[in-house]
Amino acid sequence: MSDEEHHFESKGDAGASKTYPQQAGTIRKNGYIVIKARPCKVVEVSTSKTGKHGHAKCHFVGIDIFNGKKLEDIVPSSHNCDVPHVNRTDYQLIDISEDGFVSLLTENGNTKDDLRLPTDDNLLTQIKDGFAEGKDLVVSVMSAMGEEQICALKDIGPK
Amino acid sequence: MQGSSDRGPADLTQLQATMQAIEIACSSIQNSQVANARFQAAAAIRDAAIREWGLLTSDDKKSLIRLDFAAAEKEAFMYEVKQAVLGVHGVDVQFTGINFLESLVSEFSPSTSTAMGLPREFHEQCLKSLELEYLKTFYCWAQDAAVSVTSRIIESHSAVPEVKVCTAALRLMLQILNWDFRYNTNMAKGAKPSMDVFNDGVRHDIASPKRSECILVQPGPSWRDVLISSGHIGWLLGLYGALRQKFSCEGYWLDCPVAVSARKLIVQFCSLTGTIFPSGKNLTSLSLPLIISSEMLDGCRALLSMATVTTPTVFDQLLKSVSPFGTLTLLSTLMCEVIKVLMTKNTEEETWSWMARDILLDTWTTLLIPMHSIGENARFPSEGINAAANLFALIVEAELRAASASAFNDDEDSQYLQASISAMDERLSSYALIARAAIDVAIPLLTRLFTERFARLHQGKGITDPTETLEELYSLLLITGHVLADEGEGETPSVPMAIQTHFVDIVETHKHPVVVLSSTIIRFAEQSLDQEMRMSVFSPRLMEAVIWFLARWSSTYLMVPEECREDNCNSGYDHESWLRSQHSRKALLSFFGQHNQGKPVLDVIVRISMMTLISYPGEKDLQALTCYQLLHSLVRRKNVCTHLVAFDSWRELANTFANGRTLFSLHSTHQRSLAQTLVLSASGMRNSEASNQYVRDLTSHMTAYLVEMSNKNDLKNFSQQPDIILSVSCLLERLRGAARALEPRTQKAIYEMGFSVMNSVLVLLEVYKHEFAVVYLLLKFVVDWVDGEIIYLEAQETAIVVDFCMRLLQLYSSHNIGKISVSLSSSLLSEAKTEMYKDLRALLQLIANLCSKDMVDFSSDSIETQGTSISQVVYFGLHIVTPLISLDLLKYPKLCHDYFSLLSHMLEVYPEMVAQLNNEAFAHVLGTLDFGLHHQDTEVVDMCLKVLKALASYHYKETSIGKIGLGSHASGFKDSDGKFQEGILSRFLRSLLQLLLFEDYSTDLVGIAADALFPLILCEQGVYQRLGQELADSQANPTLKSRLVNALQSLTSSNQLSPTLDRINYQRFRKNLHSFLIEVHGFLRTM
Repeated sequence: MSDEEHHFESKGDAGASKTYPQQAGTIRKNGYIVIKARPCKVVEVSTSKTGKHGHAKCHFVGIDIFNGKKLEDIVPSSHNCDVPHVNRTDYQLIDISEDGFVSLLTENGNTKDDLRLPTDDNLLTQIKDGFAEGKDLVVSVMSAMGEEQICALKDIGPK
Repeated sequence: MQGSSDRGPADLTQLQATMQAIEIACSSIQNSQVANARFQAAAAIRDAAIREWGLLTSDDKKSLIRLDFAAAEKEAFMYEVKQAVLGVHGVDVQFTGINFLESLVSEFSPSTSTAMGLPREFHEQCLKSLELEYLKTFYCWAQDAAVSVTSRIIESHSAVPEVKVCTAALRLMLQILNWDFRYNTNMAKGAKPSMDVFNDGVRHDIASPKRSECILVQPGPSWRDVLISSGHIGWLLGLYGALRQKFSCEGYWLDCPVAVSARKLIVQFCSLTGTIFPSGKNLTSLSLPLIISSEMLDGCRALLSMATVTTPTVFDQLLKSVSPFGTLTLLSTLMCEVIKVLMTKNTEEETWSWMARDILLDTWTTLLIPMHSIGENARFPSEGINAAANLFALIVEAELRAASASAFNDDEDSQYLQASISAMDERLSSYALIARAAIDVAIPLLTRLFTERFARLHQGKGITDPTETLEELYSLLLITGHVLADEGEGETPSVPMAIQTHFVDIVETHKHPVVVLSSTIIRFAEQSLDQEMRMSVFSPRLMEAVIWFLARWSSTYLMVPEECREDNCNSGYDHESWLRSQHSRKALLSFFGQHNQGKPVLDVIVRISMMTLISYPGEKDLQALTCYQLLHSLVRRKNVCTHLVAFDSWRELANTFANGRTLFSLHSTHQRSLAQTLVLSASGMRNSEASNQYVRDLTSHMTAYLVEMSNKNDLKNFSQQPDIILSVSCLLERLRGAARALEPRTQKAIYEMGFSVMNSVLVLLEVYKHEFAVVYLLLKFVVDWVDGEIIYLEAQETAIVVDFCMRLLQLYSSHNIGKISVSLSSSLLSEAKTEMYKDLRALLQLIANLCSKDMVDFSSDSIETQGTSISQVVYFGLHIVTPLISLDLLKYPKLCHDYFSLLSHMLEVYPEMVAQLNNEAFAHVLGTLDFGLHHQDTEVVDMCLKVLKALASYHYKETSIGKIGLGSHASGFKDSDGKFQEGILSRFLRSLLQLLLFEDYSTDLVGIAADALFPLILCEQGVYQRLGQELADSQANPTLKSRLVNALQSLTSSNQLSPTLDRINYQRFRKNLHSFLIEVHGFLRTM
C-alpha cells in the first residue's frame, strides 16, 4: 500500500458508518456480513460457479448476531458485500433493575442505563445468577447497525 | 432300539418348546444310542441356539460351546454329523447338517462369534483346534455333499430340494475359504510364501489399494490336495455351466441363490490361483456374453482376482491355449464394451456398468502398476500394448463425449462434486497407466486432439459458443497431466519410466512427441495473457485446469537439475538400451532445461500466475491452485529460484504484493501463501545479505503499517471498522506466511520483522480481544514466528522473545479466564467454544516451541547468561494455560494431543517443577492425566504413561537419596475436610494395573506401560503386594490361582531384576511384564 493510503481516521463517532463494502471472495468464516439487512456472523462459506465455465459465487450461511436466526445469501464472489461495523464494549455491571434494565458503569465513570436485559429466559438466568452470586461481573456489550446486546460476561473478582 | 429311537423326536418337541430342554438334549446326545436321535437333538440345539441365543444365560452358552467340542463322545458325534451331511439320512437332514456346520464355523471365527464371557484363552484354543483339525474335513464334507447332489440338479428340469443342499454346501465352502487362516500359513513361511506351492508365475507384491474388494485366499499348503488336485474346480465350473442353461427353466434364474453362491466361489478360486481355468471357454462364457449385471460383475471380479495373483505375461497366457487371443485382449475388448455401454446409456440407474468399469480399471491397474514402478514395460506382451492403445483411445473418446455432454450442467451440488474429485483422480491415474502402456500411440493421439480443439476455438471465436470445447479441453488437460507426469506430493517426481524408455530414436529434440505435446499446451496457456483471448476463451474453470497442468508438468520437466537426471534405471536392460534411454531422457529434460527453453517457459508461467491473481477477481479456487500448487512447486527448487529472482516478472509480482493494494483483494490465506512463496524465493539470491535485504524490502511496509496503527491514540475508535479489521487480518496473515518461510539465510530479517511488531501485537491483542478472528491470527503469527526463530536466537534475543511470549500468555489469560459467552444461538455458542479450543491449541504450541530451545540451540552462548530458564518459562506458561483447559475441551482430539505431548515433555524433562505446583494446579494436571490414560488414542495413552514414568521415577530417585521427592503429593495427605487423600502414586499404580489386566489396549503400549509400572511398584511396594494378594484371592479356580501367584512372583523377581532404575532393569522389567501378561491375560480377560 502506498503512503497516502495510511489513514486510520475514525469516521466520527456519531456518524460512523454502519456497514462497509468488502469483496465477497475475501469474507471468511467467523467474519461478519449483512444478510437481508441483518448483521450476521459467517458460519459457513462455500464457492461454486454459475454454470461450469461461469464465474465464482459465494454461498454464505450467517447467523444473526442478535436473534440467532440463520440466514443465507449467494453473491458473485467479485462483487461487494456489506460488512457490519460490530463494536464490543466492556462495562462493569452495577445493578439489574426490576423492570428488565441493567445499570452499567462506563470507562469514564458514568452510568449507562438504557440497555435491556435479553428477553430469553436462558440468557437472563445466566446473567442474573452470576450477579446474584455477588461476583464482580464485567459484561461485554455488542453493538451493530443500531442494535445492542450483552454478548458475554466475565468474573473479574479477586480469587 | 425302537424305543430310544422314538425318544428322539419326543425330546425334540420338548426342547423346541422350552429353553430348559437344552439340557435334556445334551444328555440325550451323550446317552442316546441311536445315532439319528442324537443328531436330531444336536440339530435342535442348534436351532434353538440360533433362535434363542440372545436369551441364553452365559452359563448355558458355556455349557453348549464346551459340549460341542469337549463332550466325551465327540468323535461319535462328529461321525453323526458327517453321515448327515453326506446325505445318509435324506435331503432335509443333509441341509440341516450343513447349516449346522456353517453356524459352527461362524461361531468359532473370532469376528462373528457371540460374546460369551469366556476367557480369551479358551477361544484361542477352540479356534486353533477348529482350524487345524476340522476345517479341512468340513470342507471335504461340504464338497462331497455338493458333488453328491450335482447330478440330480443337472438332470432335473425344475427346482428340486437338492438345490437347497447344494447352495448351502457352496456357501459353507465359501465361508471356509474366507476363514482367517493363521496356523498353517505360518508353517509355510521361511521356505516360500504359501501361494508358490500352487503355481509358478505368481506375484508377491499385492499391496495396491483397490476400489473393488478382492480377498486373497491363503489357506496354506496342506490344502493343496483338496483344492487343486481333486479337480473339483472343474466340477464347479461344470455345475455353473449347467446352471446357466437352466436359467430359462422354472425355479432358476440368474440371481438365484445357487448360482450366486457358485459364482462367488468361482471368484474365490480365481484369487487362489490364476490358472484354474483348464478351459478358457468357461471364462469366456462367464464374462463375454454381456447379459447384464451380476453375472458380468462376477466375471469382472474373477479377472481382477486372477490379475492380482499373476504376472501380466502369465495372465495373458491364460486364454492362449484355447483361443486365438490372449486374456489382455479379452480384458481390453470387455472394457471397451463396457465403456460403449456407458457412453450410450448415460443414466444413473445403470450402476452395473459403472461398477464393471471400476473393477476392470482395477484389473488394469493391478497388472500395470508393478511394471511402471520398475520399468519393465518391455515385458508387457505386445498384444497387450495394442489392446491398451485401443482401449485408451476409446477411453479418451468417452471422456470427451461425457465432457461436452455435461458442459452446460450447472453443478449446484458442489459438495457432491468435492467427493467425486478424488474418485476422478484415481480413475485418471488408472487411465494414465493404460496410456503409458501404449505411450507411443497415446502421446501423438493427445497432441492431435489438443490441436483440433485449439483450432476449433480459434475458428469459432465470437461466432459459436465455445463452452463444449472448453469442457473437452478441461478434461484433456487433466488426462494429459496424469499421463505425462506423476504427482510430486512430498517428493520430487521423475519422468515416468514409460516416457524415459520410449522414443529413443528421436534425433531432433524439438520433435520429441512429449516436447511437441508440452509446447502445444504451453503456447495455448500463454494466450491467456491476452485480454481479449482471456475474456472469450479462458473461463475460470479452464484456467484452473491450465494452472493445475502447469504445476504438475513443471515439477517433472522444467529445469530439472543435472544430478536428478542421473538416477539409474536398473533391472531388465542390457547396457546399450540403457544408454539409449538415458540419451532420450537427457534430450527431453535439457530441452526444458535452464540453457534452452527453460527460462522463457518459466517466465511465461510467472506471468500467467500473476495474471490469475489479478485478473480473476474472486475466483478463489483458481487462485488457490496458483498459490498452493503452481507457485509453491516453483520455489521449492533452488535452481528455479535463482532464475525467478532475476526475472522482471517476479520482481513485479513482489513489488505489487509489498507496496500495492491490488493483492489485498485475494483471500487472506492466499496472501499468506504468497508471502511464504516470495520469501522462499530469496534462496535464489546470491548471498545471505542480499536475501535478508530482499525480505526486508518485502515486509517493511507491512510492519510499518501495523506499528503506526497501534501507536494511534484513537485506535480504539477506529479499530473495529470492518475495513481496518480486513487490513490487519491480511497483514497478519502475510507476516505469518513470511515467518513460515524462514530459512537460515533469511533468519535475521525475519527476526527483525517479528521484533518490530512485538509491541503492536500486544496492543492489538488488547484492542481486538473480542474479535476472535484477529486474536487467532495474532497467536498463530507468534507461534509460527517463534517456531522458526527460537533455535537461532542468541541469549539476549531469547530473553526478549520469552518475555514477550509470557506477556502475551498473561494478557490472553486475563481476557479469557472466567469468560462466559451468552448467545441465543446454540451454533454461535459452539463456535465460541471451537474458537477457544483453537486459541488454546495455539498457546500450547507456543509453549512447546519455547521448550525446544532446551533441546536444539544454534546460538553461540548459553541462554542462562541472560538468566533465562526455559523450565521456569514453560512451567509458568503451563500455569497460565492449564486452568483454561477443561475436560470438555480435551475432547477435541488435536488439542488433547498437543496438551498431553506438552505435559509429557515437561514432566520428563523438568519433573522437579511438579513438586512445586500448588494443590489445585496439581489436582488439575492429575485429573487430565486420569482422563488421558483411558483415552482411545494410543498416542495419548502412550504420552500419559510417559508422564507416570517420569513422576514415579523422579520420586523414587529423590527419596532413595533422602530427599522428599513429590512430598505430600505422593505420600497422601489430609484434605480440608480431614479426610485422608491417597497418594497419587498408589492411585495410579492401582489404575494402571487395572488397565493392564482387565481393559482393552493396544499391545504396542505394553512396553511403555512397563516403564511406568516398574518405578510405580518400586515406590509403592506395600500397595503392590496388597493389590497382588487381592487379585489372587479373587480367583476361585485353584489352578488358575496358583498360576496367577507364580506369575506375579516372577514379574518382580525373574531375569535378575534389581530395584534400581537403570536401562538394563527397565529392559528386564519389560520382558517380565510381557511374559506376565501372556501368562495371565488368557484367563483374566473374558470375552
